[in-house]
Amino acid sequence: MLKVTLRGLMAHKVRLIATAISVLLGVAFMSGTQVLTSSVSASFDKVFSDVYASIDVVVRSTNKVETPFGSQRTRISESVVPTVTGVSGVEAAEGQVVGQIKVLDKDNKPLVTAQGPPNFGLNWLTSPSLNGWKVAEGGTAPTAPDDIVLDAKTAKDGNYVVGDTVNVSVTKGVQSFKLVGIAKFGKLDTWGGAQAALFTTPTIQALVGEPGMFDWISIAGKDGESQQQLADAVSKVIPAGTEAITGKKFTAESQDAFQKIIGIFSTFLLVFALIALFVGSFIIYNTFSIIVAQRTKELALLRALGASRSQILRSIILEAFFVGLSASIIGVGFGILLAIGLNKLMQSIGFSGPDTPIVIPPVAVVVSLLVGTFITLLSALFPARRAATVPPIAAMRDVAVDRTGASKRRVAFGVILLALGAFMLWFGLNGNSDSGLQIIGGGAFFVFIALTVIGPVIATPFASVLGWPLQKASRITGRLARENAMRNPRRTSTTASALMIGIGLVGFIAVTAQSIKVSTVDAINQSVTGQYVVTTEGFGSTALPQSLAADLNAVPGVQTAAGISGTFAKINDSSKVLLAVDPVSITQVIKFTDVEGSFTGLGIGEIAASEKLAKDKNLTIGQPISATFLQGGATTLTLTSIYKTEFPMQGPGWIIATDEFNQVVPPAQQTYSAIYVKLKDTSSAGVAAALPELQKVADTVPGAKLQNLTEYKKAQTDQVNQFLQIVYVLLALALIIAIVGVVNTLLLSVYERTRELGLLRAVGMSRRQVRSTIRLESVIISLMGTLIGLVIGIIFGWALVTALADQGITSFAIPWGQLVIIVIIAILAGVGAALYPARRAARLDVLKAISSD
Amino acid sequence: MTTTTSSPAATSTAAHTESVTKVYGAGDTLVTALDNVSVSFERGKFTAIMGPSGSGKSTLMHCVAGLDTINSGRIFIGDVDLSGLNDKQLTRLRRDTIGFVFQAFNLVPTLTALENITLPMDLAGSAPDQEWLDTIIATVGLSDRLSHRPSELSGGQQQRVAVARALASQPAIIFADEPTGNLDSRSGSEILEFMRAAVDKFSQTIVMVTHDPLAASYADRVVFLADGKVVDDMQSPTTDSVIDRMKSFGA
Repeated sequence: MLKVTLRGLMAHKVRLIATAISVLLGVAFMSGTQVLTSSVSASFDKVFSDVYASIDVVVRSTNKVETPFGSQRTRISESVVPTVTGVSGVEAAEGQVVGQIKVLDKDNKPLVTAQGPPNFGLNWLTSPSLNGWKVAEGGTAPTAPDDIVLDAKTAKDGNYVVGDTVNVSVTKGVQSFKLVGIAKFGKLDTWGGAQAALFTTPTIQALVGEPGMFDWISIAGKDGESQQQLADAVSKVIPAGTEAITGKKFTAESQDAFQKIIGIFSTFLLVFALIALFVGSFIIYNTFSIIVAQRTKELALLRALGASRSQILRSIILEAFFVGLSASIIGVGFGILLAIGLNKLMQSIGFSGPDTPIVIPPVAVVVSLLVGTFITLLSALFPARRAATVPPIAAMRDVAVDRTGASKRRVAFGVILLALGAFMLWFGLNGNSDSGLQIIGGGAFFVFIALTVIGPVIATPFASVLGWPLQKASRITGRLARENAMRNPRRTSTTASALMIGIGLVGFIAVTAQSIKVSTVDAINQSVTGQYVVTTEGFGSTALPQSLAADLNAVPGVQTAAGISGTFAKINDSSKVLLAVDPVSITQVIKFTDVEGSFTGLGIGEIAASEKLAKDKNLTIGQPISATFLQGGATTLTLTSIYKTEFPMQGPGWIIATDEFNQVVPPAQQTYSAIYVKLKDTSSAGVAAALPELQKVADTVPGAKLQNLTEYKKAQTDQVNQFLQIVYVLLALALIIAIVGVVNTLLLSVYERTRELGLLRAVGMSRRQVRSTIRLESVIISLMGTLIGLVIGIIFGWALVTALADQGITSFAIPWGQLVIIVIIAILAGVGAALYPARRAARLDVLKAISSD
Repeated sequence: MTTTTSSPAATSTAAHTESVTKVYGAGDTLVTALDNVSVSFERGKFTAIMGPSGSGKSTLMHCVAGLDTINSGRIFIGDVDLSGLNDKQLTRLRRDTIGFVFQAFNLVPTLTALENITLPMDLAGSAPDQEWLDTIIATVGLSDRLSHRPSELSGGQQQRVAVARALASQPAIIFADEPTGNLDSRSGSEILEFMRAAVDKFSQTIVMVTHDPLAASYADRVVFLADGKVVDDMQSPTTDSVIDRMKSFGA
């Protein structure tokens, strides 16, 4: 039987190409993204271990707040340094300051954007065993208060040479320094692409606003003692509120924090790889079904000659195994090439991470191979079972026709699956389960499977309806195309289903994004009463200085300029985003309504909660709320206001007064993320007249962006559009695979209908008419997948938007324009998919077709 | 349609060949399927082409019908020289002036009987002559089967639909390739009688390839082929005279 399998494989190799392509593309994407993210992750691991290589023990504060970017800690006093220096086994101990300093170029624009690599301001360590930086010849280490040393890459990017004046932007504004040296870290020009500016310790402490304070203390041990022993010894002498950990652990923590971010990214990509493979499984299923149908006579002959059912089953499964494995192997190969290509691309477009040598993790390779092979096997299982049930008598009969109709079992099974999927969606969206996303994904999966199961039942009426106008428009070719799409409902629906999934997700994302955009604009319209907004891409210490609000307030014609700050804090034991505003001035520019208590009366030691938050957490006025901030540690605030606002960017709903905020975050973070400006004269002439003065003030802060309300709304929706584009690009792979499926089905159908096409040609069908028939059939299949997909997408979108109504997504909006474009693209894709099969059909040798037996 | 069957007019041939040669393959595997064949098919006559397997009878029909190409010689359908036509013109010729009846797989499975009958006209985008259509359908006795798909018709009925299709566009010539080869004798005779009636009543020209002497006996004339050459030409054949002639081939 193995011989039969191999011969079969060779005989059908052309027909198996589509299967191979669909597996290959999915596997390539999966392994490629995994290899790329692993490589990036590995190279950052190396950066961290290089940077912290000389550190044996770190002493730091125990007061921390978790953020999505890792934990933030309060700084510790320099008085701890002499304490630990005295510990035996300590070779050197120095305090390290790590602040955020934006180095400006010669036009006073930040050298790196907020999306770019981080920008550090550091103190120059004097101990040779702790300082990895070396100043290049012609320069010196910083010694004077206005000295600055830049890493080689930053100096090169900014065209700076020793002796130049370098401007940097800090929370307090722009300051000038003298470049005294250009430094390399070991042999490297940069700290893994990050921007590093080095100052004397007092200077950087002043710049971050915390004189006498260090982020941590780095300790180098004498030879012969383990990091752990040294850490234990240091632990005994350090004051309460601080801890000593080994350099190894410190490095691992940084690596883990970064891995977490890469991991989220990697999982995100993996989801799309799995979607592509899921779509691919439909193509595999279809190909094997068609091959089995076309080989019915051959299989029946084998059965008649004495092959058992299990031998037939095994032979098909084996064929699938060979195809799946070889396609997966090639796919992994392509994946590695893809990773190398993307890596080069990232570096050439200026993503200046560390040099990333491609690391091929064996796990990614093995998992990709397994997934690709397994999906092929699984998808071929049903066709193989069908092949095994071919009775020997079929050898003597005409080729069997697809009898899949509205079988009651099929409908019942489909409806059950649909109900299960719908329930999971509902539960995932409304339940408060931690694994909500997985449940929603599973629900969507079942809905798609259910539609595929029901597909053959609805395919015939659907093709009939869709084909009707074609038949009216192009008579006989339309009629034949419509009939051809209807004659094999299972094949048509499986092909359409592959497209349905991709389009369904596109539709879902489009509807959700549109709803978010409309809701956001609505919310801004309803809540923001100012005319201008100053924003920045930075956050925390790289955001807008609070002084900017005062400067804007001083501009003639300005009635109020009020800012909003954000920070992470632990509230009731979980880390949350918390906003800070000046309650009196903010209510001049953004509408807040009191539900209970007084929002404008919010003061020090007090906190406000949104109406929804108060309802969800059962909060009452006067209730104590425990909160932990970076500065000052744990404290208890009193809930004095429950408010309501349509303002879209409020996070979970906790708000404190700016006065309180400034007491609980480090000085460097006492910034605004946005400042809203309300004018006295709000007529359009007045608004226009105010612009030059406001612009002049905004320009004093590098990276600040002044926008009128229209631009501001556009910027908010542009963010959604950007995300939308990324998702579309990632979904494109699934759509390409689906189109490959359409091509495949058409090719196999053309092959199967050789005689029929020959007959049509013999009785006078022109090549053009043959092509047109195939093309129209393709368009019917594509439209079926697209329209069902869009309906599903809209329903999914509606479900999500409804579930997120209390998160501020209040409007359900359908982007009709986009959907029409999607339908047009689907028609064009259908036409494109038919190009090759139609040519094949038109080129058929008529004589061969009609005389073949 | 003229009703005369023996007019000596210049266009009395519906189709004819002049020294047609057709070879397959090359070198050692070279097969001469048609060897310098010159034959004409009269208008309004029912001609049968007979010969043993491999005699070239099907090849001759395929070439005359414009389905296959030849190596040398010329083929005319009416006055039209096929050698000068491209695929588009050949397609149009087949559609408008030639009717086909094949041995099997004559019908498009997705179309109804009526749609199959009008297929050539639909492809041409022309409206069928309703009166003529009714006459043919009545003649082949399919009035109550028109909305059925081929899979719902018996083999005999399918061939009747095929004959009706061939007649429907009133072609200059109909080529039938073993039209009764797959049928039982009763259905076979029905089909042959329809074709005979079409020639007698409507002056239709029919050329039929067959290996069945009984089928050949329905024709006005039998052309015998052997090894790619015309070896005999028999007028007013009977089953017996054809069998006698065939015996002489020793095949």
